[in-house]
Amino acid sequence: MTTDATDLELRAQRVLPATPDEVFDAYTDAEKQRAWFAILDTEPGIVEIEVDLRVGGQQTAVWGPSRDELFRETQTFLEIDRPHRLVTDSVGSSPDGATMATRVVVTFEAVDGGTLMSVVQSGFPTPEIRDFFAEHAWEGAFDRIGAYLTRA
Amino acid sequence: MVNRMVQQQRLDEVFAALSDATRRDVLVRLGDGPATIGQLAEPYGITLTGMTKHVRVLEDAGLVVTEKVGRARQCRLGAERLDDAMSWIGFYQRLWERRLDGLEAFFTLQRGRADEAARRTRPEGPTP
Repeated sequence: MTTDATDLELRAQRVLPATPDEVFDAYTDAEKQRAWFAILDTEPGIVEIEVDLRVGGQQTAVWGPSRDELFRETQTFLEIDRPHRLVTDSVGSSPDGATMATRVVVTFEAVDGGTLMSVVQSGFPTPEIRDFFAEHAWEGAFDRIGAYLTRA
Repeated sequence: MVNRMVQQQRLDEVFAALSDATRRDVLVRLGDGPATIGQLAEPYGITLTGMTKHVRVLEDAGLVVTEKVGRARQCRLGAERLDDAMSWIGFYQRLWERRLDGLEAFFTLQRGRADEAARRTRPEGPTP
């Protein structure tokens, strides 16, 4: 685990019951993304996804409970190595108009039982701040997703 | 657009303010209740002037609110801005959780359908 002093990483992992090709394609295909992105939603909401899968191309996902409360994530593809690795620059936007730019590396590795999909998102401000959040503000959130997220 | 840039700049101020250990301690201390600058300075053995500077950085970032009470300056948490900063970590955690949950459900459902189809085409076949 490498974390330099000025950077913060978020990590997430899951073994999915499919081959790396199937996972890579489901993760990057616009139509399939629309299917799985909202698959667990109990309330109908807005999900719009556009993908231009080439280096320099962009993927935009817009979602939210209503037109007034939309989140947006625009990823620019930096590296596309199907079905092993995907690197993007991500800009997230919240409904109040604030933005956060980060780097996302997603890898797909064949393992027993399917494909290990791993996400490393970097570029958040400093580990001290992450620790501050973890200790004083995000105990509940980290606990809830502890199974999915391995902290740096 | 201008509004967005202003918010981004404020977020930068928040992260800059939180980059100092003393200032993070001050926020934790203020989480227990309001305190004067003198009370905040005491455990660190730093001067009132030094603590006043730290408090001013936190105040500029909107993390702390101060008001004059008698001769002292009373400080308390202005937590709104902290919520802004924290919400980014939470935003992405929820997003990845949603994506991985969605993909898992998608493939589990697909595999379930394939198994069912296989059972229907070979009703007398041996079950693994």
